[in-house]
Amino acid sequence: MKTLLLRLEPVIWPLFGAGMMVAALAYPGWLLVVGLAEPLGVLSPAALSYERALGLAAHPIGRLVLLLVIALPLWGGAHHVRHVAIDFGGIARDAWFGSLCYAVALAGSVLAALAVVRL
Amino acid sequence: MSARARIDSMRPKRPGSTRTAPPRMPDLYPTRGRYLPYIAFGSVGLLLMLVGFGILRSVWVLGEHDPAAWRAHLSAYRHPAYIVFHLFAMLAIGWFGLRFFRLFPKTQPPKIGPLRSPPEPVLLAGLRTAFVIATALVAAVLGGAIG
Repeated sequence: MKTLLLRLEPVIWPLFGAGMMVAALAYPGWLLVVGLAEPLGVLSPAALSYERALGLAAHPIGRLVLLLVIALPLWGGAHHVRHVAIDFGGIARDAWFGSLCYAVALAGSVLAALAVVRL
Repeated sequence: MSARARIDSMRPKRPGSTRTAPPRMPDLYPTRGRYLPYIAFGSVGLLLMLVGFGILRSVWVLGEHDPAAWRAHLSAYRHPAYIVFHLFAMLAIGWFGLRFFRLFPKTQPPKIGPLRSPPEPVLLAGLRTAFVIATALVAAVLGGAIG
């Protein structure tokens, strides 16, 4: 498993870097509007109405953006969590814990692809 | 010096002829000095995963093509625990992004193909501008000001 993780490193690194970039650019705005402004009633009810939200998300560009915004940060997050675990717990458990982190990211990426297809 | 460092490379298969002191973690590790922001930066990875799965859930609910389910999903976010979590996540990821952009220029090679990397201050200013524009754009689109 450790060898497999080392072989996958060149694939995981671009996903990790892109994930950090995408999350840094997209998540604060998402959290501000969907996580705070809408629940606190600051937003017009029409802004995130079902019709408008579906219209934005189901557009081909919307689907692509959503796929990238969900999948890439999962890989970035998984890589970070793996390395924090190495810092605290050592390298001994890295083979299974690192695999678990990337498996979660992979599962989330597959689900994200399914989610945007079924819009 | 505090705890033993866990460094595999310092564990040779055969003992060498020279005795070396066992590697140890620095005194300030992990919560003091520069180690705290380092650990916090890495730990934001967990938040990225949680927010990513949160967005996935929103898109999944939207894909059910049921307006009532969508409204119920948004209503659930009015729970104070969600609001506190979203506020914390927004601040933490904002800090994470700005720190990432501060580190990013230092990681770039002097030349990428035939092109020279721009000077560090120029790249940093560009990334910070992109952060502000992207955040405003995402907020404007989702908030209904654009589109």
